[in-house]
Amino acid sequence: MDFTFTEKEEKFRGELRGWLEVNLPKGWLQGDRKLPEDNEHYSKSLRDWQRTLYEGGWAAISWPKEYGGRDATLMEEIIYHQEMVRVKSPPLVNYIGIHMVAPTLMQMGTDAQKDEFIGKILTGEQVWSQGYSEPGAGSDLTALQTTAVKKDGKWVINGQKVWTSFAHLADRCFLLTKTSQSEKKHEGITVFLLDMDQEGVETRPIVQMDGHQEFNEVYLTDAIATDEDIVGEEGKGWAVLIALMLHERSGIAAQVFTLEQQFDSVIEMAKTIRVNGTPLIEDPFVEDGLADLHARINGAKLNYYRNITHTLKNGKPGAESSLDKLLVSELTKEVFDFAMTIQGHAGVLTHDDALFDGEMQRQYLASFGATIGGGTSEVQRNTIGERILGLPKDLGR
Amino acid sequence: MDFALSEEQELFRTAIRKYMNNLNGTEAARAVIDGKLDVVKSAASGLAEMGVTAIPVSEESDGLGLGALDLVPVFEETGRVLLPGSQLETLALAVPLLESFGTPAQKAARLPNVASGASTISVAWYEKGTSLFPNSFCCVAAKTENGYALTGTKTLVPVIGDPDVFITGAQTAEGKSLFLVKASDLSSVRTLSVVDETQQLAEVTFDAAPGELLGEPGNAADMLKHGLLHFNAALCSSMVGGMDELVKMTAEYAKIRVQFNQPIGRFQAIKHGIVNMKLDLETARSLSYYAAWAVETDAVDKVAAVHSARSFISKAYIKAAGDSIQIHGGIGFTEELDVQLFLKRARYYENYFGSVRDSRKATAHSLGWHSVPAKRDAVPVS
Ligand SMILES: Cc1cc2nc3c(=O)[nH]c(=O)nc-3n(C[C@H](O)[C@H](O)[C@H](O)COP(=O)(O)OP(=O)(O)OC[C@H]3O[C@@H](n4cnc5c(N)ncnc54)[C@H](O)[C@@H]3O)c2cc1C
Repeated sequence: MDFTFTEKEEKFRGELRGWLEVNLPKGWLQGDRKLPEDNEHYSKSLRDWQRTLYEGGWAAISWPKEYGGRDATLMEEIIYHQEMVRVKSPPLVNYIGIHMVAPTLMQMGTDAQKDEFIGKILTGEQVWSQGYSEPGAGSDLTALQTTAVKKDGKWVINGQKVWTSFAHLADRCFLLTKTSQSEKKHEGITVFLLDMDQEGVETRPIVQMDGHQEFNEVYLTDAIATDEDIVGEEGKGWAVLIALMLHERSGIAAQVFTLEQQFDSVIEMAKTIRVNGTPLIEDPFVEDGLADLHARINGAKLNYYRNITHTLKNGKPGAESSLDKLLVSELTKEVFDFAMTIQGHAGVLTHDDALFDGEMQRQYLASFGATIGGGTSEVQRNTIGERILGLPKDLGR
Repeated sequence: MDFALSEEQELFRTAIRKYMNNLNGTEAARAVIDGKLDVVKSAASGLAEMGVTAIPVSEESDGLGLGALDLVPVFEETGRVLLPGSQLETLALAVPLLESFGTPAQKAARLPNVASGASTISVAWYEKGTSLFPNSFCCVAAKTENGYALTGTKTLVPVIGDPDVFITGAQTAEGKSLFLVKASDLSSVRTLSVVDETQQLAEVTFDAAPGELLGEPGNAADMLKHGLLHFNAALCSSMVGGMDELVKMTAEYAKIRVQFNQPIGRFQAIKHGIVNMKLDLETARSLSYYAAWAVETDAVDKVAAVHSARSFISKAYIKAAGDSIQIHGGIGFTEELDVQLFLKRARYYENYFGSVRDSRKATAHSLGWHSVPAKRDAVPVS
């Protein structure tokens, strides 16, 4: 057992720290972390940030060098996430492009697709979204209704997508469609790299329960795509989707560290806020609850380390890594649930009127998305029960 | 990064598990309920033959000089079958206390016997109606010509496997102090009724019993705190072993038990219940490994590491056993199945040498949550 980082890894950390110190937006490290509110400026400032990352060589460290990455090791990726979380870096606007679409294209894309897209994903010139969910297809993605039909050498796409994150900022969409009806549910699905900048694509923002508008409805009315936009083979899109999902690995890592940091902010709140002159943390109920959460968050992080060890030893992640998503997303909800509870009557306020500028209120509301997006907790439990514990499959799947 | 037991440790696990299988799993625990105590002794000598008792004892005292991590596979495997005995008390509490605070003479007199398996040491700590860390003891140690004489009554004393020595606490002029007392010097032993019938607790009385001072007088609380870090790390492994067995047997049952023409494991209420047990098990295992590592390496965060593990696992073990009973249905409520034994053991450990609340308090204090408020938003760089 060994939890130390090698000298080389620490050097990597130092290099990144030094770079962040110089290149983070002005005032960021000192706590001035406001991003513009309106979409246009928000989008521009985040694209600028990705450009800065790219120019420093920090936009896609796990990519192979030939594509402009650093060939980073798994440990370097972990350090990268730790450091980015530590400075509360601005969000990566092209997260989907960098962590999911481009690696999938490297694996299964045509040479032309690699030439066309990978560079633009890296620089932030092209922002991506994922179009899977539909009004009638959420947990069961095989129930897709969106169709792509070939006419005069072009694919004509009709249907509606929903909950599409970043669609309002995106230039392209990794789109799941039905190109033929088949008895078998996983067949006849085709993935297109859809150009969103065309008349047949209409994006309507959906207001989330936390007041933000990060996901959207996307209406496709005779939208056009070509054969060149198909990833993998026509009708074999399910395999492409599975490949893409395997690339979500490093995203899970970041969540563990984010959770740890979020918990620290709750501790800080409990230490800072006084009720009748006594810090909240002195209340045995608060202390007890927070110590319990601490144990479980620490456990989640250690589970993640154990899975990393498994990956390092076996060359590929174990099935156990699917426990991470479930654990971390559920814990995120619990942390902010407790953060609301302990605020007492001041907890009813929000924004600037609330304790800690409403940070807990904001995160509490946002946390409800964690156990739904990327597959609900129920669906995760089915997967774990069947793949890890070998329990019999759910009927209908 | 390497967060796994070593190959040797895993090999040792395989050997211990094989031996436990030869003992027929929970058979030894069930024998205790039936009053057949021979099995406890024979299992203990079997473990000693495999070298288990020598693990934490230093090489100078004829031991192997290994660390807390080497005890992890041992206690997971003995915990898996609820093996009755005083291995935890001897190897994870008495040995660390003797190694840290014993005089050369005390070590020479006791530790080689522990390493060979000839001696087991238990702990007589609690007094009726007091806490783990009482303000003072009723049990008093009076100075005599050649040592101390202890008088008083201790309760909740583990006596299974006939320990020949007890580590105990008594009041001296300097304050609460630790002593070693021979079992043969006790004036009376009254066994108590215990929820977990695979264990044996007693009320023991000292009547001017000769006591050997261990460490500095007046330091009992600090010494015990130190010893309990080792003990709790080992206790966690034992509980993880029990949880692992619970998850295994519950999943197996859910695959074969058919209702409404399908295995009950297909029902999500059941499937998700077992997945939640599994989730807790993996968290428990990670926490327990880390706790043992922190103790072995004397890591700065060892107090938080051990007490986080202890508080989480104590509760998770009880919950896993309770949920397992539910998932087994009617048969789960019977004496025939092992699940009830695990539930009782989990409940027994819940407050054994400290409670969940104690551990959470220790965690909070060791993390400095009660110190001055941190300054908001300051992100230290480099
Ligand atoms: C913040 C956020 C971002 C998202 N971003 C994207 C995106 O970028 N692109 C995209 O395509 N989608 C996105 N989604 C959609 C997300 O993937 C779906 O919401 C999710 O898969 C659930 O589908 P649904 O909403 O249709 O719910 P449903 O599938 O209708 O589920 C409703 C309830 O039924 C339960 N349920 C369904 N099936 C089962 C089952 N077999 N067993 C047990 N319970 C079941 C669910 O767990 C849930 O509790 C996002 C969602 C959120 C919250």
